[in-house]
Amino acid sequence: MKKDKTRESYAFILPAFIYLIVVVGYPIVYNFVISFKNMDVSNLQSGTSVFIGLKNYTSLFSNPTFLLILRNTFVFTICCLVFQFTIGFLFALFFYKKFTFAGPVRGLILVSYMIPMSVTGLLGQNLFLNNGVINDLLKHIGIAGPQWLVQTSTAIIAVIIMNCWVGIPFNMLLLISGLSNVPQEVYESSSIDGATKLEQFFCITLPLMKDAIFAVLMLGFIYTFRAFDLMFIMTSGGPLNSTDVLATYSYSLSFTQFQFSKGSSVAVILFLCLFVVGLFYLKLIINGEEKEES
Amino acid sequence: MKNSHFDHLLHTREGRRNFYYCTISVIIAIVFLFPLYWMLQISFKSDMETFGKVLTYFPKKITVDPWLTNLKDSNFISSLKNSFINGFLTMFISLLFGIPAAYGMGRYKPKGFKVFLLAFLVSQMLPASLMLTPMYLTFSKIHLLGTYIAPPIAIAAGTIPFVIITLRPYFKSIPVSLDEAARIDGCNALQSFFMVMVPAVKTGIITIVVISFLNGWNDLMFSMTFSVKPAMRPLTANIHKFQSVYGTKWNCIMAYGAILVLPVIIMFIFLQKYIIGGLTAGAVKE
Repeated sequence: MKKDKTRESYAFILPAFIYLIVVVGYPIVYNFVISFKNMDVSNLQSGTSVFIGLKNYTSLFSNPTFLLILRNTFVFTICCLVFQFTIGFLFALFFYKKFTFAGPVRGLILVSYMIPMSVTGLLGQNLFLNNGVINDLLKHIGIAGPQWLVQTSTAIIAVIIMNCWVGIPFNMLLLISGLSNVPQEVYESSSIDGATKLEQFFCITLPLMKDAIFAVLMLGFIYTFRAFDLMFIMTSGGPLNSTDVLATYSYSLSFTQFQFSKGSSVAVILFLCLFVVGLFYLKLIINGEEKEES
Repeated sequence: MKNSHFDHLLHTREGRRNFYYCTISVIIAIVFLFPLYWMLQISFKSDMETFGKVLTYFPKKITVDPWLTNLKDSNFISSLKNSFINGFLTMFISLLFGIPAAYGMGRYKPKGFKVFLLAFLVSQMLPASLMLTPMYLTFSKIHLLGTYIAPPIAIAAGTIPFVIITLRPYFKSIPVSLDEAARIDGCNALQSFFMVMVPAVKTGIITIVVISFLNGWNDLMFSMTFSVKPAMRPLTANIHKFQSVYGTKWNCIMAYGAILVLPVIIMFIFLQKYIIGGLTAGAVKE
């Protein structure tokens, strides 16, 4: 009987598992292999590429453009995380209150999260034009807006703002569900004990939401660090690589310069950075799973 | 009568607070929806107004010409069709593999459960960039480049884990006795799955249908890379191509964007409850 059950369950699970091994597992291994070779457009057809060890990696780390891009990726990710999380948390606390528009508006602002990121990029291009609406609004309050997407120093800010437009509602949504897991009685008994709202927030809400906060930050890092669509459409990585990130750089190495091995090694570096954070996230999920079972 | 109702709204402490909160939330909504409004209003402007020196916040004269410019273009229509194909194929593959696995993971607790869970979670987190080059080379070898199925195969790899993780709790919440009763009535495992279990998790199914379609519809990276012929690319992957044709005719570009967003908004309006539920449960977006 028990054996039957196992066989049954495998029949349901294995097709998806095998699909992922073939479509995800195999390419990853293959990607690692390519990254140690010198495969490019000249030897692709003949298949005469050879292993060159760590040469792709060493040449990347001595390339100032790559180091700039690595820095961009971290600056972009960290800035987005800080703003998305802080504003998203404030929104979560606000929309968790009971008032007439709480539900509808909460749903409404999530639209930005659903639309294709490429359209977000297109929108960003228009909003941040030199004579675009952002600069027009700034003019009304007496500020001369910069040439957002033309200057290297401001282009990344514009990209970060567009990404936050998407990220804030998402953070809010996840944090609201975290808030709803905090039992209401704890607040009631603590206000009898004379705790102020601020004390309640720091001594009750934050500690009890630790796991939710951790999960939101990890997920935020994973999704932001691998960003591609936004920069590809909005700035194409420019001006002068100032908005290029690992994902767009890997793409352009592989598919505009056809240096497949170089592109793969950038993808491996992207993966390794995600892997470190991903491990913590996985541990959290698996622990939660075990808690739930026991 | 009406007056006293408003009196109550503003003169009690509760009522005033509700009023302030609603006002703040409307301001937030205006800020967050402004970019979409901006896209829409430009898409109804004439060429002359688009190129005008003064920035207008509402079209002086509403025209649908920018929309027609797109919709009369056969390249646009084929891209639109490709976007739908991308969405539906992604949905089909994801449901085909995802729903049974979600059931298997929710209903049973087989040996190796943790390995499966880990595999699904990991493939959900992986960056598409990591699969792009090797898949391109593999697809090129087995002559899949430039076929309609190539991008959805890759997109589904991220969507299948989402389906499993979102749908598993639904299957888990069905009492095992329901399955056992179906078996006693003479169903085998497969019949019970299709006739009893899947219908019982209808809410979850709607969520994953919508989101897996959107994952295909919204994709840029795989569609652009694997659809080597521009004629086979979906709307997302042809943005740059159309932009180079339209130049600074922002009214046409914004109409293009608006049409690309429209199906998403329609689904969002009608199925909001399912989408939001799914996002919270799976916490995923490609």
